[in-house]
Amino acid sequence: MVRVLSLAALAMALLLTGCASKVDYGDAQARETVTTDFGSTDLQMIAAKMVDDMMVFPPIVDMTRDRRPVLFVDRVKNKTSEHIDTESITDTIQTKLINSGKFRFVDMSVVNRVREQLEYQQDSGMVDQATAAQMGRQIGAEFMLYGNLSSIVKRDDSTKDVYYKFTLKLLNIQSGIIEWSGEKEIRKTRKRSLFGL
Amino acid sequence: MIWSFARNTLLCLLGAALLSGCATRSLFQPYPDQARGWKSGLGAGAAPTSLLDKGADSADGVLYLQELGRVTQLDGDIDGSRAAFDRVFEHYRETDEAARLRATGLVTGAGALMVNDNALPYVAPDYERIYAHAYQALNYWQGDDVTGTAVELRAAAEEQRVAAARHEREIARAEQEADRQGIDPDRLDGYFAGLDVAAGTVKASFQNAWTFYLSALFWEAHGEYNDALVDYKKALEIHPGADWIKEDVTRVSRALDGRYPRGQGMVAVLYEQGYVPPRREISLPIPTPHGIFAVAFPTYDVADKPAPRSLTVRAEGGEQASTGVLTDVGGLAARHLREQVPAMLVRQALRATGKYNLQKKANDDFGPVGAFLTQLFNLVSERADLRTWLSLPAYGQAARLMLPPGEHRLQLSTPGGGASLTVPVVERGLTVIHVVALPDGLLTRVLPVQEGSL
Repeated sequence: MVRVLSLAALAMALLLTGCASKVDYGDAQARETVTTDFGSTDLQMIAAKMVDDMMVFPPIVDMTRDRRPVLFVDRVKNKTSEHIDTESITDTIQTKLINSGKFRFVDMSVVNRVREQLEYQQDSGMVDQATAAQMGRQIGAEFMLYGNLSSIVKRDDSTKDVYYKFTLKLLNIQSGIIEWSGEKEIRKTRKRSLFGL
Repeated sequence: MIWSFARNTLLCLLGAALLSGCATRSLFQPYPDQARGWKSGLGAGAAPTSLLDKGADSADGVLYLQELGRVTQLDGDIDGSRAAFDRVFEHYRETDEAARLRATGLVTGAGALMVNDNALPYVAPDYERIYAHAYQALNYWQGDDVTGTAVELRAAAEEQRVAAARHEREIARAEQEADRQGIDPDRLDGYFAGLDVAAGTVKASFQNAWTFYLSALFWEAHGEYNDALVDYKKALEIHPGADWIKEDVTRVSRALDGRYPRGQGMVAVLYEQGYVPPRREISLPIPTPHGIFAVAFPTYDVADKPAPRSLTVRAEGGEQASTGVLTDVGGLAARHLREQVPAMLVRQALRATGKYNLQKKANDDFGPVGAFLTQLFNLVSERADLRTWLSLPAYGQAARLMLPPGEHRLQLSTPGGGASLTVPVVERGLTVIHVVALPDGLLTRVLPVQEGSL
């Protein structure tokens, strides 16, 4: 009787711990296939493809041989039916490009805060003018990066198919010429299972 | 002996009721009665959301969350509304991605077979899904998040597209099943005549010209004339007689050729009138192998449906326009129910047989007391499924005016009262006034002006 009871208690304990939720660290680069929605793997695939394409494009290789051109990121339009943070994609691309040592960037999203800091250094009387950053000395961007993310979604009872197309362009601000353009297509399909809980 | 059986039966039935009661709250209290709790006083600016918060975690969560999203939006709580609709979309996704045959589905299905259709978890019909995305778009619009609005409008269009494709297949399948079970829905047509009248001229249960018009206006304001033309044309397809939509199509077609009228901006009134009528319960004779059984069945009564009343908007310069009906939501709901009839009849026939067998067995084995108890249960549990999103409007209407840029004072008048407000007009821009007429007041809000490219 005691043995039965203790066995039951053991089984119960196992069951209970089996149900408890668990926190763990995962690989940030691992393939994520929880849903067909835009996810981390899509972002990483896009950023890697864009940077690889750009770095091996012969005119870009020529251009960056002796100098580091200055770029700015405009934005990537989200033309999908999902709420996607496209800035996060361009941030990754920008980081990879900077780390390649071939490009430099100016950041348009902090212009106002930079101006405030410059005004503080110039006008507040708190900063030694010998070390104060001067107005009007910033470097103008030569190129602009911008693009689109669009999607086509098809869905029926059993299948959902999502096609994403990411396009990125590098435009010479002075001449208006698109110097480079890259594209990444992603297709994801989800089939509904027949049996489940 | 009899008493122990009676006790066991009672316990079983109580258990069944309780189990399915956990699943859904509408089992013994009809949904329209619950809805009165949050519909009253809404126009006066006091949204009682506590009832809805409680329902949000039940098996019918998606229904209560839809109501919550709408109620909080009307109440001016945009963040609350956005959060509620986000949860609604999470439910939609779960429904779409769930396995087609589910173990839990079998349990609730068995519960529904013993009790009534209210024991089945609520699944939002297509027209409600489309509305949820359109309202979420209005939330983003109100928050001046252009990209967010565009995303939701695309999602609403996607729902309409998917619904159109799924629609015909499903009805054909349900009719086949009814046929296999020996039920001929046509024989009961007399009982559904009211339903057909309520559905009126609505041809399909998902075609929503109001949301098409809303997105067309948005695309046009942002210079996306191609998208705008497609959506205006879809709205025109649903209302081929609407001259004002024809004008829109012409204007945007010209814009595609680079000829857009200069020196004026657009003011659009999106007008939502009243509440969609609730379902009603009727008694329907259903044939089973043991004879004809009277079962409770949901339907719509034309008498519940208000007549469409238009809103007139007048500018101080004399320009004026009256809204036209784009979406008859009561019609959509009635058409949707009509489409569900074959599948519901199959379930009702199975249920009637099951209840008959239970009662017969109780009578055979344990005499009148057992029979009485089961009969009592059958009577109490015989309730129609009256659940639908009830804070939707009865009609979605719209009108638009072209006005010169600047501030304009506009006079809105409806049969139930009016309002006067000042709105900004921007050249080539769009100013939307969202007006909701509720039984206890007129709610108006001016959405941020849309202009420039996306």
